[in-house]
Amino acid sequence: MMKYTRFEKARIIGARALQISMGAPVLIDVPRGEIDPVKIAEAEFEKGVIPITVKRMM
Amino acid sequence: MGTRKRPAKKIKGGQKAAAPKVEVKVIEKIPKLTDMESKVLKVSQKFEKEYNFSLPVKVVQDIAKVVSQSGTKASDKLISAMVKKAYEKVEKHLVDPHESVGIVAAQSIGEPGTQMTLRTFHYAGVAEMNVTLGLPRLIEILDARRTPSTPVMTIYLKKDYSKNLEKVKEIASRIETTTLIDVCDMETDIINMKLRVKPNKEKLALKGIDREKLQKEMDRFDDCEVIDEGEDIVVNLKMGEDIKTPYRRLMVLIEQIKGLKLGGIDGIVRALIKKDADTDEYVIYTEGTNLRAVLQLPEVDVTRTTTNDVLEIYDVLGIEAARTAIIRETSKTLDEQGLNVDIRHLMLVADIMTNDGEVRAIGRHGVSGRKSSVLARAAFEITSTHLLRAGLTGDEDPLDGVAENIIVGQPVTLGTGAVHLIYKPQEKVKKGKEKKDKKEE
Repeated sequence: MMKYTRFEKARIIGARALQISMGAPVLIDVPRGEIDPVKIAEAEFEKGVIPITVKRMM
Repeated sequence: MGTRKRPAKKIKGGQKAAAPKVEVKVIEKIPKLTDMESKVLKVSQKFEKEYNFSLPVKVVQDIAKVVSQSGTKASDKLISAMVKKAYEKVEKHLVDPHESVGIVAAQSIGEPGTQMTLRTFHYAGVAEMNVTLGLPRLIEILDARRTPSTPVMTIYLKKDYSKNLEKVKEIASRIETTTLIDVCDMETDIINMKLRVKPNKEKLALKGIDREKLQKEMDRFDDCEVIDEGEDIVVNLKMGEDIKTPYRRLMVLIEQIKGLKLGGIDGIVRALIKKDADTDEYVIYTEGTNLRAVLQLPEVDVTRTTTNDVLEIYDVLGIEAARTAIIRETSKTLDEQGLNVDIRHLMLVADIMTNDGEVRAIGRHGVSGRKSSVLARAAFEITSTHLLRAGLTGDEDPLDGVAENIIVGQPVTLGTGAVHLIYKPQEKVKKGKEKKDKKEE
């Protein structure tokens, strides 16, 4: 699996958290009461289910 | 920065006939690896795939040093574990792409810089020699001044000469500029319009100058007559009609003869010999530099001899040597003040200063003043002039720097701002989802 730099990780989680906060369907089972979109996005990132990746340009 | 540099290709054929004869020898930058080092290197190569980079040679050498010094027979398993640990540490210390290393370097040099002495002069260990240190020296290096305020050379000699004090003294006296007043006493005879030069035999012998050369050098003035009177050499001022003020001419002549250059290398005012405590060899330190001339002396070890004049190194040895000189001089200056700045910050500064093939200063006349972006230059200085000229000539700004993007109100191309997101279809779920290109908003 491709390793992400900390900037890429932040960007991906950020973008995903924005989607979740605006009502996008969550791709994992969220524990009851978890409503923080950033935490959810982080959990999704850990699982590798976020359908976003980066394009590295030189 | 961890990559090894290939040794320069050997030059085929002879050198140009006109050039002074200089021994051409390829200097191996990296010494041959020892058995232990190559063993560790081999082990480290196994991990290359896993970590996606190779261990710097310095780290390999350090591990090998520790292993062979410990005396105990380290097992292959142990070495392997050490190498793995080293990989982890190195990986942790690597900078991520898009990290703003420039500002980190600026802060890392700037903060210790506030603690440096502002005093310009200080004795620098070397007997009776003044060397600019501390902040003034650092500024001098980064400004890429033509000549440093205290130019100093460190001349190493080849092994055959470096331990023989007599020989070293002789070489030093040949390097040091000798004027007539250094080896002779003078007397002025105003009544007869004469100048009596009394050579000091011991001093002459020390400098390796004979009387004939002395007389020959003095003979070059048209309006005087040089007579060797056995002990003294007498200079008679010819009393022609064209000399209207003979007294003034005599006074001028005295100064001219006093300053007559008899030997030595131009620009080198003084040469001092000092014994290196570690290697037990004699090293010549000079006040004033002339790298080109000194390197042509057959006794000089060209691989180690240097000057503190970065631009002279650039002129004589080229841009890569200048880069190395900047790194060495800046880190030496900081070390002397007891400040620990990671060398990679200094390397970055040196790279910025030299990357277009010539040494550019940090600041108005160099790096900042010659940025390619119009907006970046306008943000730095004389805004209207830069913008007006750009408007007249129809310049374009690609907006790839930091200052430009801030002016325009965009995220800067650093850190998270440099990441381009694209949609990645999930492998299992093959339903066409719409493309989410978050970058272009």
